[in-house]
Amino acid sequence: MNRKRALVSDTFKVKKRKTGSEKFGVVDDHGDGQGDIKSTIMDLMTLFPRKLFNDAVPQIVLKHQLYSIHDKTMVDKEVNKLRESGSLLMFQLGFDAEAFGLVFASDYKAKVLAGEEGKVTRATVEKFLEKVVSKCTDLSFSKDKMLREFLFTDSEITQLVKSGVLTVRDAGSWWLSIPNTGKFIKYFIQGRKAVLGMVKKSKYGEVLKDDLEQRRTTSHVKFHIKYHISDIVGAELVESVPTTSGTLLRYVDS
Amino acid sequence: MLGFLTARQAGLDDPLRLRRAESTRRVLNLKLNPDRDVDRIHGNGINSIDIETIEGRYMLSGGADGVIVIYDLENYSGKPQYTCKAVCTVGRSNRHVHKFSVETVLWYPYDTGMFVSSSFDKTMKVWDTETLKPAEVFEFESNIYNHHLSPIARKHSLIAVGTKNPKIQLCDLKSGSKIHVLQGHKAEVLSVRWSPRYEHILATASADSKVKVWDVRRASGSLFSLDQDNGDKSKSSSEAVNTAHNGRVNGLSFTSDGLFLLTTGTDDRMRLWNSATGENTLVNYGKVCNESRKGLQFTVSQGCSPEFVFVPCGSSVAVYVLHTGELVTMLRGHYNNVDCCKFHPDHQELYSGGKDGNILAWVPVLRASDMEEESDQKNKARI
Repeated sequence: MNRKRALVSDTFKVKKRKTGSEKFGVVDDHGDGQGDIKSTIMDLMTLFPRKLFNDAVPQIVLKHQLYSIHDKTMVDKEVNKLRESGSLLMFQLGFDAEAFGLVFASDYKAKVLAGEEGKVTRATVEKFLEKVVSKCTDLSFSKDKMLREFLFTDSEITQLVKSGVLTVRDAGSWWLSIPNTGKFIKYFIQGRKAVLGMVKKSKYGEVLKDDLEQRRTTSHVKFHIKYHISDIVGAELVESVPTTSGTLLRYVDS
Repeated sequence: MLGFLTARQAGLDDPLRLRRAESTRRVLNLKLNPDRDVDRIHGNGINSIDIETIEGRYMLSGGADGVIVIYDLENYSGKPQYTCKAVCTVGRSNRHVHKFSVETVLWYPYDTGMFVSSSFDKTMKVWDTETLKPAEVFEFESNIYNHHLSPIARKHSLIAVGTKNPKIQLCDLKSGSKIHVLQGHKAEVLSVRWSPRYEHILATASADSKVKVWDVRRASGSLFSLDQDNGDKSKSSSEAVNTAHNGRVNGLSFTSDGLFLLTTGTDDRMRLWNSATGENTLVNYGKVCNESRKGLQFTVSQGCSPEFVFVPCGSSVAVYVLHTGELVTMLRGHYNNVDCCKFHPDHQELYSGGKDGNILAWVPVLRASDMEEESDQKNKARI
């Protein structure tokens, strides 16, 4: 549609763009389009340490980490689109009702099958991946659904739980999950607490983002500090304030 | 802006476009202005504000001390510096004053001769503005959190009342009796709102995390209950299925065209719903701090493009763009928690009241007066 006249909302661009040099102040790049979100996901995934888990876990990015970089509503829409197309999978990680983990479908399948090499449960898991994961974009499954729609027997479901692909949610329903993520979640929560503590203990409870990235991390923080920073900013555990010397992260007391 | 003016002049644009553009520009420049003040009458926190829709001149406020005050918002003094004076007060010395805190005050939608107030003393009083005596008193068995009159009703004159009891009462102004009960909620009802589009549609929010939409003509239960996952049962834990929020839902507001409904909850989220289908539009506003145990009064702008939502957030008022969820600004100025806010659609002003007992007026400040103008005025005064 050819717009001859500008929209009223475009004239008053709600967030005034900084014109001219971006030498000081953070370059706040509001990217649009699916390509940018996907590339952001891939960037964040490179921050994920694979060696720590001996390559058993696929690279996980949390949905709220994307909120720190792009507009929230757009992130939600794009993530849903990618899920519908089948290239991205979303999981409920369990430690927070709102923390969703995103994994590329190809990655996930490869890792799960690699983990199942030589195990008795391999055939069932393969069947599950083919039938369920490729077609259904749900986060959880109820017993009814498993038995009727996908024609899994009770013993097969037990095998799936044993292999780690399903986790118990409550009586008769299961979350879709990633096997061997116990360690990941433990280190993640530890690291998050440590980084948050670093911000809290600073003078006035605030620290420049660039400064925080340069700091030496304690042994509690196993991941790259940028991974944790995008997590705490996206989850709104710290407030991100733009200043002339860069972005300032201020601890939010709540 | 000049583009809009020229287009209007030449007839290229609809007159409404210029009006919308100017309203939006004014809302984006809301600030605390030392020139505009509201008389401080309340000694305690202010729980509810209402501005009448007929002239936009009188404002009602209800406080935690049971006092109700009416202010005149119009500035006829000729000077830019103006304090909104209190026209009359239902103070502690009035024989009919509420015994406990007044939770909601509302003007009668058609004229300022009448207003309705409800309070924690379990009564709802319909007052005559002229004599400041209650024309009607409705008694209830438990604390009243919120009540609302339909702004467009022609066929009925019902007041919907939300109390600590999970049943919602409908009281009739014409007959003075409680004629209908809506059952369906399982915990106290914190907020009720009539739709500004259809006079029989009512939305109610409750501490059981559910928001239900009712058609009062229907004898059987609600039309539908708002579901935050849009029927996607997999997202939340199985107890949280079919809930609007993951905590108590304490604020409700329809947009002025009645097409969308906004809800806020103690899970620190605000959600925008399509009011016809009950679908969650999934606009993400981020964390909207909400610690209120009672209802929260928030408001949506009118006549701007894009529309803005003003939500009390701790001790400041957060302004979000309605359909994209972007945070425009935080209006800081109160000393304590803000409980209520109201938008004046004709002047694009925002009035907010809070626990510090102040009502602050946020006025669009577009241009600081120049030095020349001030000295001009001084010269004129001398002459």
